[in-house]
Amino acid sequence: MSILLHRHTRVMIQGITGQMGRFSARDMQRYGTTVVAGAVPGRGGQEVDGIPVYATPREAVEHAKVDATLVYVQPSGILHAAIEAIEQGVKLVVATADEVPVQDCIEIRAAAKANGADFLGPNSPGIISPGQAKMGFMPSFCYREGDVGVISRSGSLSYEVCQRMTRAGIGQSTVIGIGGDPVKGTTAAEALALFHADPATRAVVFLGEIGGVEERTVAEYAARPGAKPVAALIVGRTAPPGKKMGHAAALVGSAADTPEAKGRAMRDAGVFVASGLGDIVANVRAAREHAAGPAAR
Amino acid sequence: MMLEWEGKALLRHAGVAVPAGQVVRHGSEVATFEGKVAVKAQVRSGGRGKSGGVLRADTLDAARQAVDAVMAMRFVGEAPEAALIEGWQSIARELYLSVVVDSAAAGYALLYAPQGGVDIESGPPPARYDIGPARNFRAWQFRATIEAVETDVAVRERVVTLAERLVRLAAGRDCTTIEINPLAVLEDGALMALDAKVVRDDWAHFRQQDIAAMQEADKLRQPPLVQACLDMQHMYVPLDGDVALISGGAGMTMGVMDMIKDLGGAPACFLDCSPGPASTRGYRPAFAMLDADPRVKVILVSVFGGGTHMDRVASAMRDIMPTRTSKKPVVFRLDGTHVDQVDGILADIGARNHASLEAAVEESVRLAKEIA
Repeated sequence: MSILLHRHTRVMIQGITGQMGRFSARDMQRYGTTVVAGAVPGRGGQEVDGIPVYATPREAVEHAKVDATLVYVQPSGILHAAIEAIEQGVKLVVATADEVPVQDCIEIRAAAKANGADFLGPNSPGIISPGQAKMGFMPSFCYREGDVGVISRSGSLSYEVCQRMTRAGIGQSTVIGIGGDPVKGTTAAEALALFHADPATRAVVFLGEIGGVEERTVAEYAARPGAKPVAALIVGRTAPPGKKMGHAAALVGSAADTPEAKGRAMRDAGVFVASGLGDIVANVRAAREHAAGPAAR
Repeated sequence: MMLEWEGKALLRHAGVAVPAGQVVRHGSEVATFEGKVAVKAQVRSGGRGKSGGVLRADTLDAARQAVDAVMAMRFVGEAPEAALIEGWQSIARELYLSVVVDSAAAGYALLYAPQGGVDIESGPPPARYDIGPARNFRAWQFRATIEAVETDVAVRERVVTLAERLVRLAAGRDCTTIEINPLAVLEDGALMALDAKVVRDDWAHFRQQDIAAMQEADKLRQPPLVQACLDMQHMYVPLDGDVALISGGAGMTMGVMDMIKDLGGAPACFLDCSPGPASTRGYRPAFAMLDADPRVKVILVSVFGGGTHMDRVASAMRDIMPTRTSKKPVVFRLDGTHVDQVDGILADIGARNHASLEAAVEESVRLAKEIA
C-alpha cells in the first residue's frame, strides 16, 4: 500500500509536450507509472512516447479515465489548469511549479476541497510511491519500497535524505513534497493523517525548515496517543533572522520560527529530531524500531 | 514590502481614509505648512516609532529640520528612502486591524484589537477570523468575532465595513499582509489609517504591474554583480562566512549551510540557483559575483537535482571553469538526475565530483582554513 498514488492510478500530464513534460512522460512510464493521457491546448491528436495527447482535460478524462494529474504549466497558468482538471473529477492534482501566487494556491485548494480532490504543491517535486509509481521529477534511484512515509517541505532535501535511507536499507511507502509555500495544497497535518491511516506505513519522517507552522502541527500529531513514530530534520540553523530563504515561508520572524524552538517542541512531543543530515538516518531507524510490531501488509 | 506612503496610496485608492500627505527627501522640499504635522521616516524595518523615526513639528522651519533629522537616522542599518509629512490627527482611540495570508486559515485571516498602537504585541492577542478564500468573507461572522472585544457599536460597524474593503483589496491587488496600526478613531468618530504595512506577493508580478516595477527597483539598488544573479532568478542572501555555496533548492541549501557550520566552517551565502536556467548562462553570474567577493575563499557547488539535470550542470561547469581568472578553489558535489554522466564531463577539466556531501563540505572547510 501507499498513500494517494498507487501502481494503477491513471495519470495525466498537463503540458506533456514541453521539455519537462516529455522527459517526465518517459521517466514516469519507465518507473512503472500508468500514464494514460496528456493535455495541451492546441495539441489534441498528437502522441508523446505512445501517450495520447488531448486538447483539454475534459477530453482526456472522457477518453482515458484519468485519476490524477501532474500540472506542468507556467505559474501564471496553474490556477485555471488545475481547476479545470478538478472540475472534471480528477481526484489528485500535483503542481510542481514554484512562484505561484498564494492567492491562486488558496483558490485551487478551495476548489479541490469542494470537489473531494487532493491537491499537492505547489513548489514541490511531486509524489512517489516507490516500486509502484511516481508523479514528478524526483530522481528514481534515491528510493526503494518500504514502510516509512516521508513528508518534505523541500524537494532536493528529500532526495538527499531518501537516498541516505535507501542506502541504509530503509525503504519508503510514499514520499510526498508538500512544498515550501505559506498556503499548501496538502499540509503536513493532512499528510500525517493519510500516513496514519495507511497500514503499510510504520513510521513517518518530516523534513522541515525555519518559518511556518508545519512543525508545530507535526509535534501535535506526535503527542497524540496511538500516533505512529515520527522522525524529523529542521534545516536553517545558520539562517539570519528576518531574511526570506528562497521559500516564501522560510523566514525566522519570531522566536517560535527558529529550528531550536521547533526542535524543542518536537522533542517534547516524542519526535526523534535529528541535529543535521548526518544523523537523520539514525533517527529514522530509531523511530521505525519504536513502532509497535511489524506493519500490516 | 511597500513603504508606508506607497501602502497608503493603495489604501486611498480602495476607499480607505488616510491623512493627506506629502513625500519629500530633503527639508528644503517642504513648501506649504498648515497646523501641526507628523514627519515620518519611510523605512521597511519595524519599530520605527520606538526608535524616534516619527517627529512632530509645529512650524514650517521645524518641519524642514525634522525631515533632515529623520533622513539622517538609520533603522536597523536601513537608511530612509523618504520622509512622509502628514497633518497631525486628533485621536479618540487607537485600534488594530490587519488582513494576512495564513496557512491555518488556508487563505486570509482578519485580526482585530480594540487597543492598537506601538504596544500591540504586549497586549492580549487580537480577535481572529479565519476567512479562507476572500470571497468567503461574511460580515456577520466577522461582527460576531469582534462583538466581545468591541462594545462600541458605531466603531464596530465601521470596522466591519473597513475589514471587507481590506479583504477585497488584498485579493484584488495580491497583498499577503495589510496591517493598519494604529487605525485611529478620530474625534468625530470616523476611522482613519494612520500607518500602513502592506506586503505584496512577489509571485503575482505577471498580473500586477506595480509589483513588477517594485522588484525591478529593488534589483537596481543592488551592486551590478548581484543584479546579474537576480536576472538569472537566483535567490541570494549574503552571510558572514568564507565558504560560498552555489546550490539548488531552498531546503537543501539550508541543510548544506548547517553542515558547513557543523564541520567547523562558516557559510558565506545562501545562493539557490534552481529557479534559473541550469546552463552556462545561468551559473556564470554566480561565479562572477563570488569570485569578486573578497570574503569568499572557497566555492562549493552542491546540487542534488531532480528537474535540474546533472549533465547540464556539469557541462556548464566545464564551460565556466577555464574562463575564470580567480584562483579560488571550487569543490563539486553533484547528484541526482543523470549523475552517471557527471564524472566523464568533469574529467575534461580535471575536476573531481564528490560522492558524498560530507566529503565535499569537509574539503571546502579544510581549503578555507588553509587559505586563511
